[in-house]
Amino acid sequence: MKKKERKLNLNRRNFLASTASIAGLAATASVVPISISNANHKDGEKGLPEFISWKDRDALIVHSDKGIETHRSAIGESLITPNRNVYIRNNMPTMTDDQIGDRNNWKVSIEGVKNPKTFTLAQLKKLGHTTMATILQCSGNGRGFFEHKVRGSQWKTGAAACVFWTGVPMKVVVEACGGVNASAVFMTSAGVDHEPTGLDPKKAMVERSVPKVVFKDAMLAWEMNGVPLPNAHGGPLRMVTPGYFGINNVKHLGKVAFTEKESSVKYMKKSYRISPIGKKGSQYPSCWEMPVKSWITRPTDETGTVRAGKVQIVGVAMGGTKKVRSVKVSVDGGKSWKRAKFIGPDLGKYAWRQFAFEANLKSGTYNIASLASNGSKKQPELRMENRRGYAHNGWKDHSVNITVV
Amino acid sequence: MKILRFLLIILFYFIISIQKTIADEKKMLKGLEIFNETAACAGCHTMKAAGADGNVGPNLDTVDLTIESVIDMVTYGLGVMPAYGEDGILTKEEIEIVSNYVVNSAGK
Repeated sequence: MKKKERKLNLNRRNFLASTASIAGLAATASVVPISISNANHKDGEKGLPEFISWKDRDALIVHSDKGIETHRSAIGESLITPNRNVYIRNNMPTMTDDQIGDRNNWKVSIEGVKNPKTFTLAQLKKLGHTTMATILQCSGNGRGFFEHKVRGSQWKTGAAACVFWTGVPMKVVVEACGGVNASAVFMTSAGVDHEPTGLDPKKAMVERSVPKVVFKDAMLAWEMNGVPLPNAHGGPLRMVTPGYFGINNVKHLGKVAFTEKESSVKYMKKSYRISPIGKKGSQYPSCWEMPVKSWITRPTDETGTVRAGKVQIVGVAMGGTKKVRSVKVSVDGGKSWKRAKFIGPDLGKYAWRQFAFEANLKSGTYNIASLASNGSKKQPELRMENRRGYAHNGWKDHSVNITVV
Repeated sequence: MKILRFLLIILFYFIISIQKTIADEKKMLKGLEIFNETAACAGCHTMKAAGADGNVGPNLDTVDLTIESVIDMVTYGLGVMPAYGEDGILTKEEIEIVSNYVVNSAGK
């Protein structure tokens, strides 16, 4: 009660101070200070929130302290996205070291198997070991291109990264538990990052169900790009569901259950549903498999004007749950296309490929686009309109305009 | 006479201004009350002007806000954030009041 009174009084003082100064300038002026604060980037070291002060500020666009995007030109210069450049999208606050405690003693329970068990991280590390590159991409990556007013971070291309995970294959964990129950239809992973908030788990718990078959390629990861999985990315243990949107790669993992039904929490039933504009509900598809997609990372409007002559157009391409097979590039807004070369190593079907295309450009302005195919599907020209701006893979919106001088 | 009329006009606008000041102040205080108590926005958001230090949702002092975007977000919710309008937790008037309060207090 005391706190409320103090805050009311404090605010009242601030408010009255503002109104007094304005009233002093003009008797007829409106009293409310209307200017909207552009206080972005001021909270932590280098303008980043404290929990990710170790990241590269110059590589990042801060939408909020819970939504931080990688600059288009900060992706793709190397095949793997360094941790300091990887985007942040958190539904719950990142758990702190104090909340996590001894990382090796972190526990995850495995249910819906013949012999349900709880493993500590130390036990998991003895159980099996593998490394895999996958793409982490927010379901709403590309939302910023939608023209209807979509709530949520206005990501363009940078809610995506290609990273190396190290951990234990889910298949090995399942075998250690005697196999999956025959009646199971889904693999349902739950985080525990809602627990410190004290919020209702039905509304706050990030629990995601994916088709059971995903477990065959999934892993429980404790390292990201060669370092212990940072808390900000779900450490000490995270579910990795290759080819599936980021939300299914549950952070701060506490439970994996093989279930007959999808989870009934809000993040499964209501959120992350791809529905028509103006409609919503659990009858619409969940954000599961990522579609085939590509975008140019250089040159872009961020990299400045380009000198006439030979220009290296580079970018990244992904096939979703299938291997990306080809990428074509257009320098005339999609009127004509030529095949680009894949460059760098192939890290498997769940990683993206870098591509390069050498163009000879005279001075002028160009619209440059890329179009990827995974053999059975290719990127559409236009976005699939949907209420929450999910799963955008249309090539047109992802094209870039450059000036050649 | 002209001077008297001029002074009366000034006085008239001054009184109107004072009345508006009081009305706006009441709305801001009501907004603060909704933010901290009725809707408990403070439980999940940080906003220094309200003494709020929640860390579930975005820090409101660090995001660009418009009155339209805040009203929309409060009305329809997002993720763990309740749909205060759709679910009838707040009236339309309360949503406008708290949204105005947030837009005019965030980052201050």
